[in-house]
Amino acid sequence: MDVWSSLMDGFATALTPMNFLYAVIGVLLGTAVGVLPGLGPAMTVALLLPVTYALEPTSAFIMFAGIYYGGMYGGSTTSILLNTPGESSSVVTAIEGNKMAKAGRAAQALATAAIGSFVAGTIGTALLAVCAPVVVEFAVSLGAPSYFSIMVLALLAVTAVLGSSRLRGFASLGLGLAIGLVGLDVVTGQARLTFGVPLLADGLDIVVVAVAIFAVGEALWVAAHLRRNPLQIIPVGRPWMGKQDWKRSWKPWLRGTAYGFPFGALPAGGAEIPTFLSYVTEKRLSKHPEEFGKGAIEGVAGPEAANNAAAAGTLTPMLALGLPTNATAAVMLAAFTSYGIQPGPQLFSSQGPLVWALIASLFIGNLLLLLINLPLAPMWAKLLQIPRPYLYAGILFFATLGAYSVNLQAFDLVLLLALGALGFMMRRFGLPVLPLILGVILGPRIEKQLRQTLQLSAGDPAGLFSEPIAVVIYIIVAIILVWPFIFKLIRRNRPALATGGVATPSAPEAPSGSSAHPDLPVHSESSARPEKKETP
Amino acid sequence: MTIVVGYVPTPEGEAALTQAIHEARKSNTRLLVINSSKGDALVDNRYAQDSDIQSIEDRLATQGIDHVIKQPVRGHDAAAEVLDAAEENNAELIVIGLRRRTPVGKLIMGSVSQRILLEADCPVLAVKAG
Amino acid sequence: MSSSPTLASRLKGRAELGVALLLGAAGALVIWDAARISTPYSQSDPVGPKTLPFIVGAMLLVCAVLLAVNVLRGGQGEAEGGEDVDLTHPADWKTVLPLAGAFILNILLIDWAGWVISGTVLFWGSVLALGSRHYIRDGIISLALALLTFYGFYLGLGIALPAGLLEGIL
Repeated sequence: MDVWSSLMDGFATALTPMNFLYAVIGVLLGTAVGVLPGLGPAMTVALLLPVTYALEPTSAFIMFAGIYYGGMYGGSTTSILLNTPGESSSVVTAIEGNKMAKAGRAAQALATAAIGSFVAGTIGTALLAVCAPVVVEFAVSLGAPSYFSIMVLALLAVTAVLGSSRLRGFASLGLGLAIGLVGLDVVTGQARLTFGVPLLADGLDIVVVAVAIFAVGEALWVAAHLRRNPLQIIPVGRPWMGKQDWKRSWKPWLRGTAYGFPFGALPAGGAEIPTFLSYVTEKRLSKHPEEFGKGAIEGVAGPEAANNAAAAGTLTPMLALGLPTNATAAVMLAAFTSYGIQPGPQLFSSQGPLVWALIASLFIGNLLLLLINLPLAPMWAKLLQIPRPYLYAGILFFATLGAYSVNLQAFDLVLLLALGALGFMMRRFGLPVLPLILGVILGPRIEKQLRQTLQLSAGDPAGLFSEPIAVVIYIIVAIILVWPFIFKLIRRNRPALATGGVATPSAPEAPSGSSAHPDLPVHSESSARPEKKETP
Repeated sequence: MTIVVGYVPTPEGEAALTQAIHEARKSNTRLLVINSSKGDALVDNRYAQDSDIQSIEDRLATQGIDHVIKQPVRGHDAAAEVLDAAEENNAELIVIGLRRRTPVGKLIMGSVSQRILLEADCPVLAVKAG
Repeated sequence: MSSSPTLASRLKGRAELGVALLLGAAGALVIWDAARISTPYSQSDPVGPKTLPFIVGAMLLVCAVLLAVNVLRGGQGEAEGGEDVDLTHPADWKTVLPLAGAFILNILLIDWAGWVISGTVLFWGSVLALGSRHYIRDGIISLALALLTFYGFYLGLGIALPAGLLEGIL
């Protein structure tokens, strides 16, 4: 079957009244959690996992897709109106977006963000539909050694490239892999890290781990650091754009999409780098460079498009290879596993209808999001007035409910609290949570591939390098790992370059960055950037 | 002696402020403007923005009124903050704005103005918007 | 070289060393646990169940050492920010500990008293811990939420949450 007819079948599935209803629920929920402080799409999907066991997997994934894209739209609304970017990928949007809003152009900023997200999301999803089957075709020809190497690359890349401290990233990855080890070994039936507790024999339920890290850890962390002063929201009417705004927006949208998708599709791309690159590009190309830092519409249009295109791109390795590279994709992948669906290159052939319905629902969700976000932006902003006690108590309540309902045993709640405390500690000491989740999810699969590989070579480690692709990938892995040391060496030899290298990336963020944006984590951006910029 | 006015950035709040200014000029007393927030949500529309406060500041200064503007965020509701301020400063008058409310809304949310009217130890002047 | 006063001053404000300690303990635990496994070498599974634990354990130990060195040299993890996070004040344990208390109470109650009661306690306690002072309104909301989820899960998802003490009434 070719892409087109598969996709049409997908639309047919996704547009049945029931599935359409779930798409609507998904985008509404997604936008809501994107707007609400302290909640995000990854947490929401994790919280919903247990509830969706009773659903058809297709319906559940259609809803998750809506939440995934919806969170992005909602996030940009808050970063524009409040200047409190919830995720690092919307930091750049907040720079110009909030300035525009303060200058009385909130409506235009919201409009260019929403329409740009729609354009980028639609193009990105189309690229996903075209690219994913190609990647699959390539991937099914790979043997265990190559597949093992690709998984190693994904793990290491996410750990080493994203986040500001690689050491802390690896610590987090190690903890995740260790958590993934708990339970009976599938091949030999040996108990690992169960300490004789029979309840641990089945391993830690991924739902419990994800809910603990994303929901409980986050709720406790926010509770410990509640903002004491109410923020001032910029009043806004219905978003709209004038002719001039359209003229200045459409090119940034397309360029942002072009940056976003490939970065999202890379194992460690993420949305942070393309949004930043898009910002810099727009600033350079703009006919109104003087407006940058004071609310230039291009600076909202481009990064916002890049952000959404990256979100679509991320789904390519997730669906085609079973490799998630951001938190929401990781939790969605966990959802596949808990439905008994094996993620990986076989997914397209074994679960074709589901995958194509999911892709079709991304198109539908995007359109729905545009429709609900343009006229209803003022209503979404009202959500920010929900008193915090209810918000965070609600997260804990539903986290408990979800984790408990998986196995109906109080022991899971003990794990939930313990892992929640771990999540709290990680946030406190700057250990990124994404490597941990990836370690938990990919650890067992990596081990399986490793064992298959060496089984084929009868225990000879040379078997790891028996396929050319594996060799190439190990070289890339080596470069990623060694790069910062090389960078340090270059820096030592050429001190002038070093200071320049650190100073320039933070310069375009905003000239008066630190004083004007007390909330912007500019420091983490600039400290991490030099090594990140070079990796692709 | 002091006049305490409960200010919120709404037409009712503006009406109350205007009336309070009038009263303060008439009796030549100090004006204490209270704009509070419980601070329990990320956003509170009843908490005035800096620019708002600045324009009130300017307005009071040009009219030559001895004034203090306070924006307490201590987790107390607006009624408690106004009553507190009135008691502390031995207020001679409290000025508040009234808004129209349905009986049901009053039942669910309670009423700040009602509490002030019932619990204040000094006269309360309640104004309606425009 | 590190006499006790300097060591003490070095340790001060380095709570992050606890993280290194935790990593080290986790690594040691993983390796100890793996060493305990005894499986004969098998042709069909040359890697065996011990290899990955050894790698992971070693990785954790290395991270623990490097982190300890990093912290002693003045390195610091960057606490995570967020929309609703204000890092300018220190952790507010007066909110977090009661929250954890409500959570633990729920764990203790859930199997015995049932979800409706334990869930009500959890939500009500959490709202209280987070600073709401509408005791009665919060109580009603908590009970309504617990009841709603109880019946929602039972009727909608076919999951029977424990009824506990209220068995027969619900």
